[in-house]
Formats: sequence, structure tokens, C-alpha cells
Amino acid sequence: RIMPVRWSRYSPSYLEPEVKKESYQKPLEELTEEEREQMELKAVRPIKAAPPTLSSSVFSDPMISKFTNMMMKSGNKVLARSLMSQTLEAIKRKQLEKYHKAPENEKETIECNPYVIFHQALKNCQPIIGLSNITKGGKTYQVPVPLTDNRKRFLAMKWMITECRENKHRRTMMPEKLSQELLLAFNNEGPVIKRKHVLHKMAEANRAYAHFRWW
Amino acid sequence: LRLICTTTAVQKKNVGASGPEKYTEAFIKKQIEEFNLGKRHLANMMGEDPETFTQEDIDRAIAYLFPSGLFDKQARPMMKHPTEIFPEQRKIQWGEDGRPFHFLFYTGKQSYYSLMHETYEKLLNVQKHQDQMIAQDLPPQKEKRNLAGSRWLTKIELEEMLLEKLSDDDYSRFIKLLEKLVALPCADTEEDYIRKFSKEVPMQLQKVVVEPLQYDEQGVAFSTGEGKRKTARATAVVYDNGTGKITVNGTDILHYFPVLQDREQLMFPFQFLGRIGKHDMVCTVSGGGRSAQAGAIRLASAKALRSFVTEKEVEFMRQAGLLTVDPRVKERKKPGQEGSRRKFTWKKR
Repeated sequence: RIMPVRWSRYSPSYLEPEVKKESYQKPLEELTEEEREQMELKAVRPIKAAPPTLSSSVFSDPMISKFTNMMMKSGNKVLARSLMSQTLEAIKRKQLEKYHKAPENEKETIECNPYVIFHQALKNCQPIIGLSNITKGGKTYQVPVPLTDNRKRFLAMKWMITECRENKHRRTMMPEKLSQELLLAFNNEGPVIKRKHVLHKMAEANRAYAHFRWW
Repeated sequence: LRLICTTTAVQKKNVGASGPEKYTEAFIKKQIEEFNLGKRHLANMMGEDPETFTQEDIDRAIAYLFPSGLFDKQARPMMKHPTEIFPEQRKIQWGEDGRPFHFLFYTGKQSYYSLMHETYEKLLNVQKHQDQMIAQDLPPQKEKRNLAGSRWLTKIELEEMLLEKLSDDDYSRFIKLLEKLVALPCADTEEDYIRKFSKEVPMQLQKVVVEPLQYDEQGVAFSTGEGKRKTARATAVVYDNGTGKITVNGTDILHYFPVLQDREQLMFPFQFLGRIGKHDMVCTVSGGGRSAQAGAIRLASAKALRSFVTEKEVEFMRQAGLLTVDPRVKERKKPGQEGSRRKFTWKKR
């Protein structure tokens, strides 16, 4: 059953658009049963318009767009986007510096692609288990609870952004600090990874209350 | 018994609201007779033949005899067949002795519950049939029902069918039951029953006529398209044999759209079809803001590109969301709130 979120200008029968070019070039035989059904459904139902942030070009990445939206303040997407591109540039510069200074045998291990670093860093920051407040018998307990993929990604991004906004010297710019944090997270060091480990330890400590969860 | 001086109004007991007026059959019949007589009189008045006086003639005659400048068409004088005017209602559900006809009358929603009972009975029949087939060691045939081609009746349509108000919960329960029935392998025996509650959806959504290419003086093919987004309106002319130059309101896109996101949006339809360096575009846009203008031009260019491209690719463009008009507009501000969603600061005292 389709539950409308508050209300939206689209009727509930509208489906999400599929922007990637590759999914339209697959020949018919390679599709599985589900994909065939999906295709038939798409042929009949109307489709929503693609949002302005989504594009079929190679440069648009859903994770990067989500991160820029979270960094945005008061709707200033231009500034957020420029900060993001400056961060990626800073990462690339730092990695290239390291690359040129490193000896021959280590040159292959150094990753220079800022997108790969970004994705890997956020992946390393994602917690596996989270805590939720459950009230039972008048007292509120912190109960360890499994998290959905979306929630994990959101928490990783949120921690990264709050970390960069608060724990820095007044004069450091956001791209600099962000690139620093992302590189640390890529190597599994840094305050964000520490925060993730703290959460895991809390969950392990409250393991006794795990049976309070009913879902 | 004490006789107290009271008025008739006090003596009347508290009768609860009986809902909308129920029209008796005799009343409706009388209305139909009056309508037919009135039709003949009207035909006579207009000098036309009473035998061949259609509903359109009636409407025209009434509009002539009773001209009205009212905005709402429903508020103007109209003369229609009584079945269209009086809403289809249930006739009185109980006999002269006050005893209701239907056994589920006292549930309040008699037709809904009787429908649920019927559907469940069919479900049990199908299950029994299935058990019999298994007992005889015959494999249950499963024919894949084409999900995409049909849809269930909406809540409003079901209400019209049952002549009864339903709640959302009731409706969803009924749909779940129907889906359960359809999911069983031997449901083909009850196809007729299920067909009553499903409707065909037309396969091709609103076949839009793709305009043919036009040719200008040098023989270069071009086509136009219009697009809109929020308050921005744009028209785009896409020329063939081009170098990928895009001009907006007389200026180049690099100068008109300094932001990368907008330029990406303009390039989106071309990049999707793989025709980046092949077309030239000249567009005019007005209204809206920076992002709205970009979205409007995107839609206009996608519509213009339809004439250059095969039908399959048009379908791909539609599924990528390039050809739908974005219906999202600025939500109005409501009274008693500061904005469209933001409420005033809540003060305890």
C-alpha cells in the first residue's frame, strides 16, 4: 500500500525516474523476471520529473549530492557545491603531494581519485549498530538496535559535517578541514571513526537490554 | 398522569438526524413523468418537433430562455433527467413492519460486509479446488496475470458501486483480500468475479503526437519545444548539423548560467541521447529564478528533441523523467501561520 508522505504534488501512481543511460541499453534477454515486471509497470504508469540535482552525466553522484545538501545552509546550494568541489580538489592535491614524495614501491598503494577516497571514508564511518531510547517501567534504556542502510549513511555524513564545523580553529576553511577529516577516515583514524567506535562500545555495554527491542 | 401545559415542540421527542432525504420510487417516477411532459412543452415553445428533442437541444433552449452570467455551471438553471439530478440512493431498506430486508443491515455497512463475505467465500472455494487438484496429483496451473495492464477500482468507484460510504481502512482490507485471492494458483475459475473489480489501464500513456521536423531556408532541420517550471516559461529551437552551441535570450549559456548545475541540466537531454556536439540550440526564457529557468529550458529542449529521435528513445526519455512537467510550485502561505508550514512561535502564556 502506498502511503503518501504528508502530501506531494504528484499522485501516488507516479514512479521514480531512472536516469542512468546503461540501464536502457541492456538487451531484453538479460533481464530477470522482476526487472521485466518493472519495465512493464513503467510502460503504463506516469513518471515523476527528474529533480534538478539529478543528471545522467558521469560527474553527478547521488552520495556527493546528498552530502552537499546536508552541508547547505539556508538554501545556499551554490556555496555548498563550491565548498564540495574545493574539498575534492584539496584531497587530490594532498594525495598528489604524497604520491610525488613517496618511494617507487609505495606509489601504487596511494589512492589519488578523490571520489574513491570520499566513498571509502564514508563507508568506514558508518556504524553497524545504533542505540535507541526505549521506555519500559518508567525508566528509559539505551537499547542496541540494527540500523537501515539509509540511516547508516545519514549518520556517517552527519558526524562528518558536525565534526568539521565544531572542532576546528576559527581561521581554518571548511574544505581544508573536511579534506583532512576524509583522509583520516579513509585510513581508519580520526575523530569520526573514534565516535563510531564509542557508539559500538556503548551498544556492546548495553547488550543486556537487547531483548527490550520488539521489532 | 398529570396534564402539564406544554408546547408541541417540547412534546416532540429528540429525533436524530436521518441523513440525506430518501426519495421513494413513486416520487422519482413522478419526477420522470414531469420531466418528459416538460420536455414536450419546451419543444413546443421553441417551435421544434417534440418527438426528436434531444438533451443538447434542451440545454440550448434553457440557456436561451434563462440566460445567466453565473460562474459555476452547476449553479445555472438546468433541466436534466431526474436520474442525473437526484443522486442514486438506496431505497428504503426495511419493510412495512420495520424489519430490514438484508441480514447484515444492523452492521451499518451492509453491502460492504456482504461483499467481504462473498469474496471470502470465493477464496475458500478456490482453496478447496486447489486441495482437490493436489489430491488428484494434478499440478496447479499458474497463469501470470498481467499486473501492469489493469488496476483495482478506486475507493470512490467502489463507494459508487456499493452506494455506501467506506473508510480508507475498509477499502484497503478489501483490496488486500482481492490480492490474496488473485495470488492463489487456481484463481482462474473466479476470473469473472475478479474482473468486476478491476479496470483496464490504457497501455500507452496519452500518445502524444510527435511533430515532424521543419526545414528552414538553408535546408537545416529544426524543431521547437516549449517548457515550464514554477513560473518560468521557455521556448527552445533545436537545429541539426550543429556544433553544440547553446544561446539563451541572445547570450551564451556560460554568461547566462554561471552555475555549473544549471548548465548540467541544459546538457542533460543531449547527453542522455548521446547527441552533445550534434545540435545547436537557441532558446528564450522568461520568469522564474535561476534554477526554474534551467528546468524550463531542459523540458523545452527534451520536447524539441522528440522529433529527431526514434519512438523507443522517446519512451526512454519519458522514463528518465525528462518529458514530465514538474508540478511542484511554491506552496501558499496560510492564515494563522508565519509561512506555508512554519507556525508562529508558541508561547506558553
